[in-house]
Amino acid sequence: MVSALSPSARVLSLLSGFGRFGTFCGELGVRAVSRPFYLREALAYAGVTAARCLAPVLAVTLPCGMVIALQGLQIFDLYGAQRLLSSLVSVAVLRELSPVMACVLVAAQGGSSCAAELGSMRIKEEIDATEVMGVDALRFHVLPRLLGLTLACPILGTFGALAGLLGGYLTAVVLKGEASGVYLANLWALTQPADLWAGIFKTLVFGFSIGLVATFHGFHARGGAAGVGRAVNETVVRSVLVFVVVNYLLTSALFTDAP
Amino acid sequence: MPLTIPVPEAEPPAPVIEVEGVWRSFGENTVLRDISVDIPARRTTAIIGPSGTGKSVLLKHIVGLLTPDRGQIRVFGDDLHALPRKQLYAVRKRMGMLFQAGALFDSMSVGDNIAFPLIHHGEGMSEAQIRARVEEKLELVGMAGFFDRPTAALSGGQRKRVGLARAIVMEPEIVLFDEPNSGLDPITSDAIDQLIRDMKAALGITFVVISHDIVGTVGVADYICVLERGGVAAWGPTAKVLQSDHPMVRAFLSRNLDLDGLDGQHLPLPTARPGEAD
Amino acid sequence: MIAAVRDYFGFVAALVRSVQREGLSWSASVKAAWDIGVESMPILLVIAGFIGSNLSLQGHAAFAPLGAQRMLGMFVSLAGVRELAPIIAGSMVAAKAGTQMASQLGVMRIQEQLDALEVMAVDPLAHLVAPRLAGIMLALPALVIVSTFTMIAAAYFAAVHQLGVGGATFLRFAADGVRPIDFAYGEIKGAVFGAVICTVSCWYGFHCGSGPEGVGRATNQAVVTSAVLCVVLNYLLSEVMYGG
Repeated sequence: MVSALSPSARVLSLLSGFGRFGTFCGELGVRAVSRPFYLREALAYAGVTAARCLAPVLAVTLPCGMVIALQGLQIFDLYGAQRLLSSLVSVAVLRELSPVMACVLVAAQGGSSCAAELGSMRIKEEIDATEVMGVDALRFHVLPRLLGLTLACPILGTFGALAGLLGGYLTAVVLKGEASGVYLANLWALTQPADLWAGIFKTLVFGFSIGLVATFHGFHARGGAAGVGRAVNETVVRSVLVFVVVNYLLTSALFTDAP
Repeated sequence: MPLTIPVPEAEPPAPVIEVEGVWRSFGENTVLRDISVDIPARRTTAIIGPSGTGKSVLLKHIVGLLTPDRGQIRVFGDDLHALPRKQLYAVRKRMGMLFQAGALFDSMSVGDNIAFPLIHHGEGMSEAQIRARVEEKLELVGMAGFFDRPTAALSGGQRKRVGLARAIVMEPEIVLFDEPNSGLDPITSDAIDQLIRDMKAALGITFVVISHDIVGTVGVADYICVLERGGVAAWGPTAKVLQSDHPMVRAFLSRNLDLDGLDGQHLPLPTARPGEAD
Repeated sequence: MIAAVRDYFGFVAALVRSVQREGLSWSASVKAAWDIGVESMPILLVIAGFIGSNLSLQGHAAFAPLGAQRMLGMFVSLAGVRELAPIIAGSMVAAKAGTQMASQLGVMRIQEQLDALEVMAVDPLAHLVAPRLAGIMLALPALVIVSTFTMIAAAYFAAVHQLGVGGATFLRFAADGVRPIDFAYGEIKGAVFGAVICTVSCWYGFHCGSGPEGVGRATNQAVVTSAVLCVVLNYLLSEVMYGG
C-alpha cells in the first residue's frame, strides 16, 4: 500500500527514523566497549548464520559466475581474445560478485531471519521480559547478532568466490569447450593479493551494515504479526540499499587509480 | 440464574448436516475418530468438549475447509467433498460462519466488512439496498451506528458481533460459531451468550456452536454433542445428554456447571418455564 | 522439499483454474501494478544509479591494464542491458513487493481471513493472488526499462566525471554493445522474474505458520527463494537467449 502521509510528514518521519537509528547505534557503541561481552553467543550466531546462508549463497554465486563467463565469451569471441576470459571472470568474482551477491543473500536470509527473530521477540514481549529480569537486552540479544552477522559474511563471501570461479570454469570449459589449460593458466593474470583483501574488507563492511539494519528493525518492530513482516521487508530493502551505496564508495576508494 | 433447558422433542427434524463415519489425522495424531452425528435443521446444536478434542477441526470439515480421510459429510443432502468447486461455493452461500477472532478484514471499515459477501454475491443489489441490509444486521447484533468505524479499533466483543453480522448478512440457512466465547471477559461472554439466544429466537435457523464453555451453551442448545478424544461421547437432546451417566460427561459437566445447592447430583428433570413453548 | 515443490505447482495450477472460473479484476490488477511500481521506483533509481557508477569504475579498472578503457561504454551497455538491469529490478521487486505479499497474505492466513473468504464463497486465489500476479507482470518490465536507463546514465556520469573517459566515445561504444533484441530479452526476463516472485511469495503467505514467527519465517523464505530462483532462471534464460 502506498503511504498515505503527506510529503512533509514523510520527510519528518524519515528524519525521526534516522534519529532513532543514530541513538540505537550510539547505545550499541557504548555497550560494545564495556563488559560483559557475550562472545560465545556471537560466535555461535556467526556459525548458525553461515550454515543457514551457505546454500542460498552458493545457489546464487554459481549461476552468476556462469553468466559472467557466458557473456564474457560472447564479447571476447568478437575480438578473438578468449584467453582473457578466465582473468575477467576471476576479477569480476573477487572484486564484485562474491562480496556483493554473497552479502545480498546474507541480507535476504540471515538479515531477515535476524529481523524476524528479534521482531517476534519484541512482539511477544520477550525483550521486555529480559530487561525486567535485569539483563541488558541490547547487550544480550542484539550485539551478538550484530557481531555474528559481520563475521559470517567474509566466510560466506569466500565460499561464494569459490562457487563463482567454479561457475565460470563450468561454463567456459565444460559447456563451451574452451581449453582447460589456457583457462587455468590465465586465471590470475589480472588479479593481485590486494583484490582478495579488498573483497574480504567489503564483506566485513557489508556484514556490519546488514547487522545494524536487521537488528534495528527487529528490535523496534511494532504492531503484531504484521509488524514482524514489515521489519523483515524493511531490513532486506534497506540493507541492499546501504551496501549498494557503500559498495560504490568502497570501489571508488579501492579500485580507482589502481594499477 | 435458573437454566431453561428445552423440552426434548419426540422426533427431531430432518438433519441438514450429516456427519458419517469421519476420520481425520494430522501426521501421527488422529484427531477425529469415526464421528457420526446428524445436525437437525432449524435447531441449535452445540458441540462441546475440552480443548484439543477436535471440535474446531470438525467444524472446518463441515464448511469444507478440511477433507476427511474416511467418511462423508453431507450438507443439504450433498456429499460436500465430492462437489465441484462451483457447487461447493453455492452451498457455502447458504451458510455463514463466525470465526474465533472474527477474521475481519482490518483494511476495511465495519460496514464494508459486513457488506463484503453482498458485494460479491448479491446479484443486482444497489448500493442503497446493500447499505440498508448491513444497517439492519448491525442493529440485530447491537452495533447500530458502527457502519463507518475502522475495524482495527474494535474490542474483542465488538469484533465478534461484527463477525456475526457478516455471517448472517446473506440470510443463510445455517450459521456456525467457532468458540464464540473465547478470549472474552465474563461479562462480555454473557453478553455474547445472550446475543446468540436473541438471534436464535429472531432467526429460527440452524445454529452449530462449538464451545468449551458449557454454561452458555446449555442455555441455548437444543441438542448437544460431547466429543471426547476425537470420538462422540454423548449425543442427543440437551436434557438427555445432561443426564447421561458416561463418566467423561459427568466429569466435564460437574466441573463446569455451577449448580448452587445441588452438589453435583443429577439435575432435576427438565421442564419448560410456564408460558413458554419450545 | 519435493512435497513443497509439488504443492507449489498445485497452487499455480489452482490459480489458473480460479482465474478461468472467476475472471480477473483489471482494476485491481492495474492498482497492484501501480502500487508495486511506485513503491519500488525510488529505491530502484538509487540502486540502479549506484550500480551503474560502480560498473563504470570496475570496468575501467579491469580494462585499463589491457589498454582497452575506451571500450568501457560497450562493457557497461552489454553487461547492463543483458544481465544487470533485469536482475536489479527483479531483486528490488522481490525484496519489496515479494516480502509484502508474503507478509500480507501470511497475516491473513493466521487471522483466518483466508478461511473466511473461502467460507463466504469468495476464491482467495482469484480475489487476492491473481491481481497481484497480473500487476507484477505489468510493473516489472517497466521497472527493467527504468533500471536500464538509470544504470547507463549513472555509468556515463561516473565515466566522464570520475574517470575522465570521453563522453562521445563512451556513448558510441555503448550503442555498439547492444542490439534492439537485447532490450526485448530484458523485458522477457522481467516478466518471468515477476511471475516467479509473485507466485512463490504468495505461496509462502498461504502456507504461513502461526503467530508472528510464522509471518517472519514466511517473509524470510519468500525473499530468499525468489532471489535464488531468479538468479538461476536468469542464467538459464541467458543461456537460451545469448548462448550461441
